[in-house]
Amino acid sequence: MSTQPPINFVQEGSITVGTIATTSVLDALNVSAFGQCALEYVRDKPGLNLLLNFEHVTYLSSAVLSELIRINDAVTKGGGAVRLCALEENLQEVFKITNLDQVFVIYGPAKDAVKRYERSIKLNEQEESWQRFSKEE
Amino acid sequence: MASNPFFSREFPSSLEAMPEVLGHALTVLADRHWIDPGHEFSARLCLEEAMVNAVTHGNKCNHARRVRVEMAEEGDLCHISIFDEGHGFNPDCVPPPDTVHTGGRGLCLIKHYMERVRFDDAGNRLEMWLRRCHTQPAGGQSA
Repeated sequence: MSTQPPINFVQEGSITVGTIATTSVLDALNVSAFGQCALEYVRDKPGLNLLLNFEHVTYLSSAVLSELIRINDAVTKGGGAVRLCALEENLQEVFKITNLDQVFVIYGPAKDAVKRYERSIKLNEQEESWQRFSKEE
Repeated sequence: MASNPFFSREFPSSLEAMPEVLGHALTVLADRHWIDPGHEFSARLCLEEAMVNAVTHGNKCNHARRVRVEMAEEGDLCHISIFDEGHGFNPDCVPPPDTVHTGGRGLCLIKHYMERVRFDDAGNRLEMWLRRCHTQPAGGQSA
């Protein structure tokens, strides 16, 4: 049995990219390992900007969606955010059917996603700064 | 029980025992032109969701209880039945998935992808109907 971790985490600027290394599937058998790996990583990391990269994933079941909600809850409680990228068409459709496209921002290819995520954070910071400035005036 | 099923398999209620039956079912569906090879995503998803529900919710992962999968041809539809040996449930009590809770999405996906979905009165048999893929000639099937 492979000892490869289900997610490889790499820091790219202010974004933590978690590339799901499970090359074929996220099915009922390996989903709990995926969830545990992610939840252990995000624990005690306040303000984490996590980008989960699905470029190697060709299949997922609803159990993965439940794990993603748990991961999202854990990260947002710490003031961070979870976004997703590189989902193939079938997977995007699953998110749409289950309304989870309303929970997660989903970016396109991984190479652009980090830049877009960083730009989004900067825009949010500018907006917050502007709101503080407006209140002070 | 489906009449004259072309596929009928049982497995004990464990997630470890499930992939072999799931894989076999998908191979048979592809061989009989119900799904295109390489495009089995939705059929696989629905079968897996139904089988996982039968193992975990129906049979409560009790290995002494069995899950049975049957598939039979009904014209242009494939009638798929998943039986468990649990106490059943009321599908009307399963809330539609929202953006907060973690459950209920498997059934939602099955209802989306399948032509029709039905539970028997006891709630331990899920029936779903898969429409034949469009890219294969109708009626084309192997032994």
